[in-house]
Amino acid sequence: MTQRLRFDSLLGLFPLVLLLGAWQLLGDPESPFFPAPSSWWPALFKLGQGDKIIPAILDTVRTFGVGLLGATVLGVALGLSIGVSRTVGRAVGPTFEFARALPPAAIVPVASLLLGFDETMKVVVVVLAALWPILLNTSSGVQELNPVLLDTARSLRLSRRRTLFGVLVPSVMPAIVLGVRVATPIALVITLLVEYLTAVNGLGALVGDAQRTFQPAKVYALIVITGVLSLVVNSLVRSVEEAVRRRRVGERR
Amino acid sequence: MANDPSYECRGLRADVGSRRGPRRLVLDDVSFEIAKGEFVSIMGRSGVGKTTLLRTLAGLHEASAGSVVRFDGQPVSGPPDGVSLVFQDYTSSLLPWRTVAKNVELPLEGRLPTEERRSRVAEALKMVGLADRSDAQPHELSGGMQQRVQIARALASQPAALLMDEPFGALDALTKADLEDQLLEIFAATGTTVVFVTHDIEEAVYLSDRVLVLDGTPAQIVAEIPVASPRPRTQMLTRESSEFLEARHRVHEVIFGT
Amino acid sequence: MLLALAVLWEVLVRFKVAEIQFLPAPSEIATAAQDALAGGELLGRIAHTLGVTILGWGIASTIGVALGLLLGLSPLAYRYSMTSFEVTRAIPPITFVPAALLVFGFSLKMELVLVIYGGIWPVLINTIGGVRSIAPELRDVGRMLRLSRLETIRKVVFPAALPAILVGLRLALSLCLVLAIVAEMVGNPAGIGNGLISARQALQPALMFVYVIVAGLLGVALNAGLRASARALLPGNVVKDVAAP
Ligand SMILES: Nc1ncnc2c1ncn2[C@@H]1O[C@H](COP(=O)(O)OP(=O)(O)OP(=O)(O)O)[C@@H](O)[C@H]1O
Ligand SMILES: [Mg+2]
Repeated sequence: MTQRLRFDSLLGLFPLVLLLGAWQLLGDPESPFFPAPSSWWPALFKLGQGDKIIPAILDTVRTFGVGLLGATVLGVALGLSIGVSRTVGRAVGPTFEFARALPPAAIVPVASLLLGFDETMKVVVVVLAALWPILLNTSSGVQELNPVLLDTARSLRLSRRRTLFGVLVPSVMPAIVLGVRVATPIALVITLLVEYLTAVNGLGALVGDAQRTFQPAKVYALIVITGVLSLVVNSLVRSVEEAVRRRRVGERR
Repeated sequence: MANDPSYECRGLRADVGSRRGPRRLVLDDVSFEIAKGEFVSIMGRSGVGKTTLLRTLAGLHEASAGSVVRFDGQPVSGPPDGVSLVFQDYTSSLLPWRTVAKNVELPLEGRLPTEERRSRVAEALKMVGLADRSDAQPHELSGGMQQRVQIARALASQPAALLMDEPFGALDALTKADLEDQLLEIFAATGTTVVFVTHDIEEAVYLSDRVLVLDGTPAQIVAEIPVASPRPRTQMLTRESSEFLEARHRVHEVIFGT
Repeated sequence: MLLALAVLWEVLVRFKVAEIQFLPAPSEIATAAQDALAGGELLGRIAHTLGVTILGWGIASTIGVALGLLLGLSPLAYRYSMTSFEVTRAIPPITFVPAALLVFGFSLKMELVLVIYGGIWPVLINTIGGVRSIAPELRDVGRMLRLSRLETIRKVVFPAALPAILVGLRLALSLCLVLAIVAEMVGNPAGIGNGLISARQALQPALMFVYVIVAGLLGVALNAGLRASARALLPGNVVKDVAAP
């Protein structure tokens, strides 16, 4: 069965392979727009710049990781308090509605002016962008919780701490993980965007540099690298989600 | 010509399963005839292949090579003209974004002029007793009403044969009795052939001229029990008549052994 | 709440309780907004960004729905192309900005291409999901009532997938706005994105805040507009998902 699935996904690559194949045949390594795919990889190492790639990837992964972690902690904390207390929910509702609508891209120039071009600024912007799906999923997860569960906790006279970490968090765990999964690509995109706009470090800065110095082959090579990075990160998060879900099913049996 | 059967099956074989996965033979050598204007019930254990048989008759499921399945003398390949199917699950077979009347009108659209469509829809809704709910949305109706909408939709194209897959299986006993009588009235008024799948022995005997019992893996027709009770039938009198009791006894015997 | 925050902010900045360089007080932002409005510059920039967003979104939606119906309905097309779409979709659209800049230069075309490219994905994915999750009974209903293939798509498949499609359209609209602003910041010198960058270069933080707020309001307004038109055009039980905040 898995064998079959693997094979089927390979079949699905057909159009992409066709496109790249045609590109390779028709493309010219010197083309200013569409250099042939075979010239992408070597372009990365031209001018002795090959050793910049790994540090750039690590920079990107760090900003992304710290940002996503921050968004998760903040999002879960806010989501839980909004979900549990109706007053809090009503008080912050409109403010959040507006903050959520702010295009994260627009925040970058302002944040860089106020906070400077440092890591803190980048992480702040990533957190601000990736926060919302986690927050919203958590709070609606709490609101959709069966009220009997909280009544049970109360009738067992569990302490607040116990109720929070023993009952509430585990029950909304699937919603939280779903929120994190949705937030993951957002966090990555915003990380790359901040890097691109501030042009200091990371893959985003590197691809921006390649563009400004007219190295199309290098731009395409970096697109492929970010694509692979994104696939890896997404499948990691998905397997975490899968694991959480499986534990749930196990519990029910 | 008048004596030609409505449905004729000879050596019907059918298998199920995904297109590329392993397939399982469900029906093997099923043979029967159904006369025009006859009411036939099909019974059998859960999972024996009743739905598969009905879907094959409806042209939604392809029988294996070599099987003979004819409707009105023509081999069935794809849903034949003049056959309507009432699905078991009314919640997923009505279009939730259309009103009751619009759901019933669906099979007529583009085939009849507007005037005639209107009158057909009104007539079909009247037959199932929903004339006054034509502008409601399906989700505003009870389960029994939704199933009646589905029956009205099947009737709107004035079918020569009506196939029904456990249409009343999910309903409570009172609603069920109501709808059974309504179906008998429609059957008498339209003269359509009915093939009716059910789990309920009493229901099968009360409604039918003949009960076919499927059994075995793969399934075959293991018994054929005629019901001699005269029509028109009524819930109380028919169910107390000796013909009814005898037929019920025989079906019970076949299904549960002695 | 919003008002209280604004007052607090004003007080903090006025009395230098919190001293952050370049942080303007709300009153300064209001003045900057008035000036920008009076000059007509703000409205012009809004019109540009709004126009590109809606145009790009419209084109992206058309392509996304058409392609999504094809991939959702044809198992063959799905089998032989879905992985390609999954892989391509995983590449963050931002990384295509440099490529688009190289190919199309600093132009409106570059902005539009980027907006369309990014907008297609949510529509495509949601349309495929919507079509593939239609109850098999519903497809049988179409066959049983002897609807033609086109009729089945128009009367059964499309309406049944519509709630999912609408979710995709909504996601795409927000994304198109973001991408338009990004493209204006780094590529096409027009619209709100460019306004932000110019204000930054001219060291006018108050004006920057004006543009950020306008961008936020545009996002809210586009979303509200989509919801309102969905509610006006479609029967009540379909719009639940779009109407939900
Ligand atoms: N799509 C399918 N894939 C695999 N097996 C199937 C499929 N559809 C039906 N089956 C199998 O075929 C057999 C017959 O199914 P069918 O639905 O015809 O039974 P049934 O008599 O209608 O049962 P019930 O009374 O529960 O409705 C069952 O054992 C079922 O598991
Ligand atoms: Mg069945």
